[in-house]
Amino acid sequence: MLYVAKRIAISLVLVWVVATVVFLALHMVPGDPAEVLLSTGGTSPDPYAVAELRERLGLDRPIMVQYGEFIARLARGDLGTSLVDDYPVAEEILLRLPRTLELILAGTLIAVSIALPAATYAAVHAGGAFDRAASAVAAILQALPVFVLGTLLILVLAQWLRWMPAGGYVPFAQDPGRHLLLLLLPAVAVAKGLAATVFRMARAAVLEQLSRDHVRTARAKGLTPRRVVRRHVVRNAMIPVTTVLGLQMGTLLGGTVLVEFVFNWPGLSTPLLRAVETRDYPMVVGIVLTVSGLFLLINLAMDLLYAVLDPRIARS
Amino acid sequence: MSMLTRRAAMIGATAFGVLPVARLAQAQPRPDLLRFGLSVWPPNLQPWQSVGQAAGMIKMLIGRRLVGFDEKGELRGELARDFGRDASDGAWVFRLDPRAVFHNGEKVTSEDVKWTIEQVAGERSTAYYRAQMQRIDRIETPDAHTVRLHMKEPTATVPLWFANYNMPIVWRGTRNMNEAMGCGPYRLAAQERGSWIELQAVPNYWVPGQPRTKTIRMTLVADESLRLAALQSGDVDFIEFVPWTGMAAVEADPRFKLESTMGPFMDILFNGTRPPFDNPLVRRAVAHAVKREDIVRVAFSGRGKVLEGMPIVEGTPWWDAELSRGHNYDPERSKALLAQAGHANGINTTLLTTGAFAMHKDSAEVAQQYLAAVGIRAELRVVDWSTRVSQGIRGQYDLAVHGVSADFNDPDGLTVVLDTSLSAAHGRSFGLSAPRTTELLNKGRQEFDHARRVEIYKDMQRAALEEVPVVGLAWREQGYAFDRRVSGFRILPGALSLSSGVNLEFTSVG
Amino acid sequence: MQVKRLILPGAMVAFIVLLALLAPVLPLPDPVRQDVANRLAAWLPGSPLGRDEFGRDILSRIIWGARASLAVAFASAAIACLVGTTLGLLAGWFRGLAEFFAVRTADVVLCFPPILLALLVVTLLGPGTATLILVLSILYLPGFVRVTYAEVLSARGQDYVEAVRALGAPTPRILSRTVLPNIAGPVLVQFSLAVAAAVVVESGLSFLGLGVVPPTPSWGLMIRGARATMEQAPTYLLYPCLALTVTILAMNMLCDALRDAVDRKGGTRAPKLRAVDRILPGLFPTREPAPLLEVQGLTVDIATPGGAIRPVEDVSFAVRAGETLAIVGESGSGKSITATAVMGLLPPVAQVTAGVARFEGRDLLDLPEEERRRLRGGAIAMVFQDPMSSLNPVHRVGDQVAEAIRAHRDVSAAAASQEAVELLKRVGIADPERRARAYPHELSGGMRQRVMIAMAIANRPRLLIADEPTTALDVTVQAGILDLLAQLRRETGMGVVLITHSLGVVAETADEVVVMYAAQVVERGTVAEVFARPLHPYTRALLAAVPEGDAEPEGIPGVVPRPDAWPPGCRFAPRCSFATPICERPQVLEQAGERLVRCIRWKDLA
Repeated sequence: MLYVAKRIAISLVLVWVVATVVFLALHMVPGDPAEVLLSTGGTSPDPYAVAELRERLGLDRPIMVQYGEFIARLARGDLGTSLVDDYPVAEEILLRLPRTLELILAGTLIAVSIALPAATYAAVHAGGAFDRAASAVAAILQALPVFVLGTLLILVLAQWLRWMPAGGYVPFAQDPGRHLLLLLLPAVAVAKGLAATVFRMARAAVLEQLSRDHVRTARAKGLTPRRVVRRHVVRNAMIPVTTVLGLQMGTLLGGTVLVEFVFNWPGLSTPLLRAVETRDYPMVVGIVLTVSGLFLLINLAMDLLYAVLDPRIARS
Repeated sequence: MSMLTRRAAMIGATAFGVLPVARLAQAQPRPDLLRFGLSVWPPNLQPWQSVGQAAGMIKMLIGRRLVGFDEKGELRGELARDFGRDASDGAWVFRLDPRAVFHNGEKVTSEDVKWTIEQVAGERSTAYYRAQMQRIDRIETPDAHTVRLHMKEPTATVPLWFANYNMPIVWRGTRNMNEAMGCGPYRLAAQERGSWIELQAVPNYWVPGQPRTKTIRMTLVADESLRLAALQSGDVDFIEFVPWTGMAAVEADPRFKLESTMGPFMDILFNGTRPPFDNPLVRRAVAHAVKREDIVRVAFSGRGKVLEGMPIVEGTPWWDAELSRGHNYDPERSKALLAQAGHANGINTTLLTTGAFAMHKDSAEVAQQYLAAVGIRAELRVVDWSTRVSQGIRGQYDLAVHGVSADFNDPDGLTVVLDTSLSAAHGRSFGLSAPRTTELLNKGRQEFDHARRVEIYKDMQRAALEEVPVVGLAWREQGYAFDRRVSGFRILPGALSLSSGVNLEFTSVG
Repeated sequence: MQVKRLILPGAMVAFIVLLALLAPVLPLPDPVRQDVANRLAAWLPGSPLGRDEFGRDILSRIIWGARASLAVAFASAAIACLVGTTLGLLAGWFRGLAEFFAVRTADVVLCFPPILLALLVVTLLGPGTATLILVLSILYLPGFVRVTYAEVLSARGQDYVEAVRALGAPTPRILSRTVLPNIAGPVLVQFSLAVAAAVVVESGLSFLGLGVVPPTPSWGLMIRGARATMEQAPTYLLYPCLALTVTILAMNMLCDALRDAVDRKGGTRAPKLRAVDRILPGLFPTREPAPLLEVQGLTVDIATPGGAIRPVEDVSFAVRAGETLAIVGESGSGKSITATAVMGLLPPVAQVTAGVARFEGRDLLDLPEEERRRLRGGAIAMVFQDPMSSLNPVHRVGDQVAEAIRAHRDVSAAAASQEAVELLKRVGIADPERRARAYPHELSGGMRQRVMIAMAIANRPRLLIADEPTTALDVTVQAGILDLLAQLRRETGMGVVLITHSLGVVAETADEVVVMYAAQVVERGTVAEVFARPLHPYTRALLAAVPEGDAEPEGIPGVVPRPDAWPPGCRFAPRCSFATPICERPQVLEQAGERLVRCIRWKDLA
C-alpha cells in the first residue's frame, strides 16, 4: 500500500513536471494562437483584430501569470477550454481517448492472438521451418515502418481492390458492422509492430521456460506434451510477456499518431496534432497530461499485475 | 503499371471469391443525404472572424449575406432584394427581402443589418472586415427593410464586401457568437469537434424550394489522398480540394464528375525592409528567374497555369496579354538585373515556406532551384503553419512562398495581396515600398466609371510589375469532385472558387 | 556460431553505411537536380529506378537519403550514448543528488509519448537535421541512463571494484578503467538499438514533414512525396519503402546478434548446452529374477557446434524390484544424463545412439513417445535434484501433485486434490491441507523435496529414479529425505535408482553401486564389497574424499576432463596417482570376481 502511494506521488510530480515543460515550451514556440486562428486559409489577419483576440484569450498577460493560473486550474482538475472555439478540453479528451484506446486494444488483440500461438509453436519447435519462417516474418514486420504498411494497405486494399474503406470512423452504436470494418486496417497497422515484439518476446520466454527444470518435472510426471506446454511453459512464460505487453500498450498511447494520421482515425492524435499546429495551449497540455498520466498509471498497474501473476513476488 | 497491378489484384480477388466483401466495404448513398469530404476542420463558426474557407462555407450555408454571387460570379442579391448606389447622396442602398426570417422565426430587418455592421466595426471586434466597416460613416435605416450606408470616402466595392463569407447578417439578439443566429437554408444539427458536422435544412427557410438536400454531413478527411480514396470507395459523395494528382483519374472515371476552375495562386513574397530585397531590381530579378511551367507540373500535376504577371484572371476586362507576361521567365534578364543591382556574384538568402501544404513546399523547392540557377542561393526554411504566419507577420524572413486567393474577382480583391502599405501580414510582402501600386489601388476603389477603372488597374499592373510587391508563380486549379448522381452544383469562377461551397444549397443527390 | 550470426547483418549494415559514406564519390546524378520534364519516369538511361515528382534521380536520392538517415541516427545515438552513459555512471556511482537528477530526468522523458516530444521540439526549433538529432538524442537518453545506472550499481558491489576502491584509486579512474569496460557490452547493444530505432523515427518524422528539410533527400520525405502519386507511380513508393525496411531489418538483426553475443560473454545467462553432465554405470544382470530395469550399452551423443560429444558411453546396469542401485561419480561423469536418457527426457540436442533399457522386459528406448509418456510418472517416476526449480513456481503444490495423478488416472479434480493431500501427508508434510495450497517458494527446501517425492509416488511407481535428491538440501534435512525414500521402498517394493556424488549416502541406502567417471562405468559391485575393497583408483579416491570423523576430506586433485577432450587411454589416468605409461592405452571393463572394474592395474593395486 505504501509502495503504491509512493508510486502515485512520484507519478503526480512527474505529471506536474511534464505539464510545466509542455506549457513553457509551447509558449516559447514561435506562433501565436490568435494570429494563427485569424490566418486560417491564408487570409491576412487584421492586426487590431489579432490584438483584440489576444486580449480576449488572456494571452497578453505575462507568462508567469498565465502559468500560475494554469497550475491553479489544473490543481482543481480543470483542463480549461480550447482557445479556438471554447470547447472544454476534458470533453474532447473524453470523446477521443476511448477511440485511441479501442484502436490500441484491437491492435493488441490481433497481435496477441496471432503472435502468442505462433511464438509458442515456434519455440516448441525451435529451429524448425515454421520457427524460421515466423521469425523472419516478425523481423520484417518489425522493420516495416507503420506508415509504410498503412500506405501500402490503403493502396492495395482500398484503392486497387476496394475491399476496404480507405479510412474513417463510424460510431459503433450507429453501424456496428461498419465500425468494425473501419477499425480493421488501423488495428492491423497497430498490431504490426506489437505482434513482432510480442512474438520475439514470447518466443524467447517460452524457450527459456522450456529449458527449466520444472518442465522436465512436468514431463517426468507423464503429462501430455500439450498440457506441459500449456500449463507449465506458456503459463509461466506469459508473466513477463503480459507485463511487457502492458508497457508496450502504454507506449502506444502516444504512438498511434502515424496510424491515426494515415487512416483518418479520429482518436486523440488528430486533435493533438491540430492543437499543436494552432497553438491551442490548453488542448495540447490537456492531451499530453492525459497521455503521460495514463502511461504512468499503466506502468504502475503492470508492476502490480506482475506481482499478482507471479506468486513469488511478495505482495507487500 | 498501376492498372496492370490493380487488374491482377482484382483477378486474384475474384478467384478467391472475396469480391462480395468489397460490397460490404462501401456505404450506400441516400437521396436526402449528401456526404461531403471536408479538407480542413473549421476552427470555429463565429460569424465574422476569418478562420478559413471551411468555416466560410458553413457560415454561408447557415447564414445569409446581403449579397451573393451567381454562377458567373456576378453579384446578385441574397438577403438584399436589390442594391445600388443612390446617385443623389452617394449612399449605398440595400433593400432587404421581406420574406427573410432567422432560424428562430424573427424577421430579418434593417436593424439586424445595422447591428451586424456595428458589431463588425466595433472597437473590440475581431472581425475580418472590421477595417472596411469602420470606413462606413453612417448607417440609416429609414424602414425595416432598407439600409443606407454613407461612406467616409467614395468606395466602388462596397457590395463586394457584403458578399464575403465573413459578413453574414446575424440576429441582433445574439449574445454568444459561437451560436450566432443565422437566416440561411441550413442550421447546425450536430457535430463532433474535429470529425464531422451535420447540417439540417431549416423547415421555415424563406426561399421556396430551397435547399435541395435535407442533410449535409461533412466529414473531415484532411489527407488529400485519403479524401480522394474516400470518394472513390464510396464513403463520401462529394469532396473539396481534389488533389491535383487525382484530377485526371476523377475525370476519366465515369462514376464521378469534376468541377474545377483556376482560382487561387502561388506567389513569392519579399521582406522589403532589408537588403537585398528592398531593391526592386533584385525583386524583378527574382520575377524573371523562375520557370513557372515546372511549378505547374510538380506542385499541381499540370493542373494549373503559368502566372507571369500580376494575378488578374484571363478574360476579365482588366486582363492584358502583354502585362500578363511582364515577369516572363528570362534567366539572362534576371542575371542582368542582379548585376545592375550590384549582385553580379549572386546572393545568399533564405526562402521561407510551410510544410503544412505540399503545394507551398513543392513550389518553393522548384523556385529554389531556379533562383539558384541565376545566382540567388536560397536556403529553404520549411516550418509549420503557425510559425510561418508568425514569422511572416514579423518579417522574420527574406523570401517566402505563399498561396492565396484574392478576396473577389474585382481587381480590388487583390488589395490584400498587393497593397503593402496595409498592416504586416504573412500573406503580403513585409515592409515593402510600392507607393504607385498602392495609390492606383486606392484610386481604382474610388472610381465608379468602368472604363476608367479598367485603365487604372492596367496602370496598377504596370506599376506593380516594376515595384514588384509580389511575384506571381502559378494559378492553381481548384476542384470539387462528386458522384454522378449529385446534381446542381456549380463552381464559382476565379477567386470566388473557394466560396463555391455555398452552392451546396442547390445540390441534390440522386 | 555467434560470430557467424553477426556476419550477414553486419555485412549488410556495413554495405549500407559504406554506400552512404561513398555517396559523394559514387558516379550518381545530383540528387537535388530537378528535371521536371521527366518527372515520375519509371526508367531512364542513367536512372535505373526512375525519377521522382521533381524529376530527380531516385537511386541517387535513395543513396543520399541513406546518408541523411544514418548521419542523423548515428549522431543522435552517439550523443545520447555519451550523455546518457555519463549521467548513468554518475548516478550509479555517487547516488544521492546525481542519482535523483539522472533517474528522474529519464522518467520525465519516458512519460512523454515519443512522437509528441518530437513534435514539440521540432515546432520549437524548426525542422532540420540539427533538430532531429536533438530530438532523437533526448528520446534515447533514458535508455542509456538506465542501462548504465543498473550496470554500475551491480558493478559497484563486485569484489574487484571494491578492491580497487579500497586501494584508494581516484573515482574517475575507477569509473573509466574498471566499470566502463564492464558496461561496454550492454551499452553497445543499447547503442545499436538506438541507431536502428532512430532510423525508424527519423523516417516517420520526415514523413510527417517534421524531419529533414527538402530538397535534402530522406527516405521518409521520399515516401511522403511518393504517397501523393502512388496511383501513377507505385514503384516510386516502393523503392524508398524497400530501402527503409531492408535497412531497419539488417540493423535489427545486427542488434539481436550483438545482444546475444554480449549476453553470452557477460555470462548473465547460464550456458544452455550443458555439454557434459554426469554418467551412471550399471551392473550386469548377473542373478536370478529378471531385473526391473536393465540397461545395456547405453550411449548418448550430444550435437554441439564443435562436433558431437559423448557424455555417456556404453553404460550397463540393472535394478531389481525392492532394491536400491546407486550411481556415483563427480559432476560431469554422466550420471544424470544416463538417468534422463532412461526416462526419455533428454533435451533435443542429445540422442541415444546405442544401447537398450529394458523395463519389465520392454525396451524403453524403443517405445513410441506416447507409451513412454504413460510410463513416465506412472510405473517409472523421477525425483530431481533441485526441488525449487523443479517445481513450477506459479502453481500451488497441491495442484501440481494432483496434476500428476490426473495425468495417469481418470479421477475427478476434487478426488485428485484429496488424494494429493493424502500423499503430502504420507511423505511427512505436517498440515497437508494448508501446505497443498502453498506455492513452492512458500515452502522450505526439505518440504519441497517431499512434495516432489509425493508427486513421484502418486501413481505407485515400480521404479523410482532419484537424481541427487538431497544435494540441494541442508545436511539436517538430507537424512529425513533418504529415510523417506528407504521407507517408501520397503513399503511399496519399488526399485530405486539413486544418483549421487556422495558415497556416504550410498553406504546408508544402496544395495549395489555403480561408479562412473568421464562417461564410463569404472567399477560396479555390491555396496558392501566396493566399500570394503575398492578396486579402481577412482573409487578409492572417492572413498578417501568422504570425511571420516574429524579428518579433513582429501579432495581428488584435478578435475573431470571435458567431454570434447577425453584422454586417449584411461580417462582417470591424468589424475591418478598410480598411473603408469600402460594407462595410456584404452581400458576395458574387466570381470573381477563378482565385480566389474575398468583399470588395467587393478590386480597390482589390490
